[in-house]
Amino acid sequence: MKAIEFNGLTKFYGKHRGIESIEFSVTKGEIFGFIGPNGAGKSTAIRTLLGLLHPSGGSAAILGHDVVNEGVQARLKVGYLPAEVDFYPEMTSRELLQYHAGLYGLENGDIKIEELAEYFELALDRPIDDLSYGNKKKCAIIQAVLHEPEVLILDEPTGGLDPFMQNRFFELMESLNKKGVTVFFSSHVLSEIQRMCDRAAVIRDGKITAIEDISSLLSKQMKKVRLVLKKKAELSLPDGFQNHHSTGTKHNFDYVGPTEVLIRWLAEQDLVDVVLTEPDLESIFMNYYQR
Amino acid sequence: MNKVLYYKELKRNRKNTLIWTSIVVAFTFLILSIYPSFSQMGDQMTELMSTLPQEYARALGMDEGTWSSIIGFYSTYYGIYITLLIGIFAASTGATIIGKEERDGTAEFLLTRPVTRSNIVTTKLMALGTLLAVVYSTQTIFAVLGMNLFGDDVLWGHFVTMHVHGFVLISFFTAAAVLFSSYLSPKLNYMGPVVGMIFGSFFLDAIAKATDAVSWLGFASPYYYLQLQAESGTLEVNWGSCIVLIIIALLMLRAGHARYLKIDIVG
Repeated sequence: MKAIEFNGLTKFYGKHRGIESIEFSVTKGEIFGFIGPNGAGKSTAIRTLLGLLHPSGGSAAILGHDVVNEGVQARLKVGYLPAEVDFYPEMTSRELLQYHAGLYGLENGDIKIEELAEYFELALDRPIDDLSYGNKKKCAIIQAVLHEPEVLILDEPTGGLDPFMQNRFFELMESLNKKGVTVFFSSHVLSEIQRMCDRAAVIRDGKITAIEDISSLLSKQMKKVRLVLKKKAELSLPDGFQNHHSTGTKHNFDYVGPTEVLIRWLAEQDLVDVVLTEPDLESIFMNYYQR
Repeated sequence: MNKVLYYKELKRNRKNTLIWTSIVVAFTFLILSIYPSFSQMGDQMTELMSTLPQEYARALGMDEGTWSSIIGFYSTYYGIYITLLIGIFAASTGATIIGKEERDGTAEFLLTRPVTRSNIVTTKLMALGTLLAVVYSTQTIFAVLGMNLFGDDVLWGHFVTMHVHGFVLISFFTAAAVLFSSYLSPKLNYMGPVVGMIFGSFFLDAIAKATDAVSWLGFASPYYYLQLQAESGTLEVNWGSCIVLIIIALLMLRAGHARYLKIDIVG
């Protein structure tokens, strides 16, 4: 069974496009990345999936339940971590999580709340309004996993978390995934997608432009190369090199292709120094879309 | 109805409800406690009434009976102040009980839980009804106590009529506020439109009563259809108007409910 299915899902805000004819599926037990620049339609797709937005066309389903006609059954099995955390400011974290547990009809909610709060080092009895953004995010993570969902939908999940807590978060996600939980993961941070995901969909201007295995996406990934040669020389650049600039013995260029090809080529050069950097996600997108 | 959401709404609004209940009860007790002083000056007050412009007295629902019986005295304040106060509480709570979730961004939390939108809206309306009933019944209980304490020969039939009419009026305004809020931007401060709607209706009726030339204005105000002042001597429940206003209120709630089901939570 598919965990998440988009069947031509379309959402227009009046005349403005949100998403158009989105068509892909996420297999049960998979960790699936959802990548795209700001305004590409990631949040629109997620919000439509969760019933916050009404689709203009097409359909979507979670674990076989249509998100419009069987929204309650679909959401019963979903944990959602929003990008922006807006909770009831007058409540404490404990009250919010108890409220959440009540809406899901959890019987052992209090015990699980304590366990997860301890894991994420969250003070449960402080008003949410007094919490830092990072602590609000911890509270959001706990509410997403508290009811043991079968599908987790995460929208920019690590924003506001310090590196230590990010690591704990990823460990938790990995352990849940090992238990069979499907993770649908929207992020701008490429290293998170690389670490977590098996496959990813790329969305741009409201349309899916690619659905790739992460290994395949990475093989297409651009690297910025800066090298210094011992002597000034003409370089014989193989396929995959572009935007070459040189000043004396220093050369700068971009490379797109298998990393082992680059390493073999570098080994053949008479080098003083070499620096390989991962470009920001936008550069990868630009490169990816140009192909 | 979702019990978890229902109790949470009651808890969330308890402070506001307590404050408004205290204000209304204190005001009720205050006006009833000064009645004995006014009644002792009965002749002087009747004389004073005769010097007031008739239009003014009519607009405020006053006549010589206003000062000679506790029900007349109470009805003047009830019609002018108490229904307005409770109306503003109920309508402002009605306008915000659903829209506040969207304005504060908490709609995203609530609507991604396994509860239908219809269930959420229905539950919130039930909570709203409960809050209104709490304020209204508490005020009524303290009014009964005050009547017994500060007056005698109370015309209880008039009292019941006034309170039935008052409750219908307040319910009508609450339903109107729910409907308006479903169409207005959630970022808007609802208090202005709510106070405007209730005061506007009240003054429209007062002007219509004061001046025969513009008496037709009263048709546009729900106050016109349900008498709250006992100045005429006889006061009976106008069941026809009550039923019509309740049906309109239910239709407004239904329309507000339907509108909320269609709203996109853009974030």
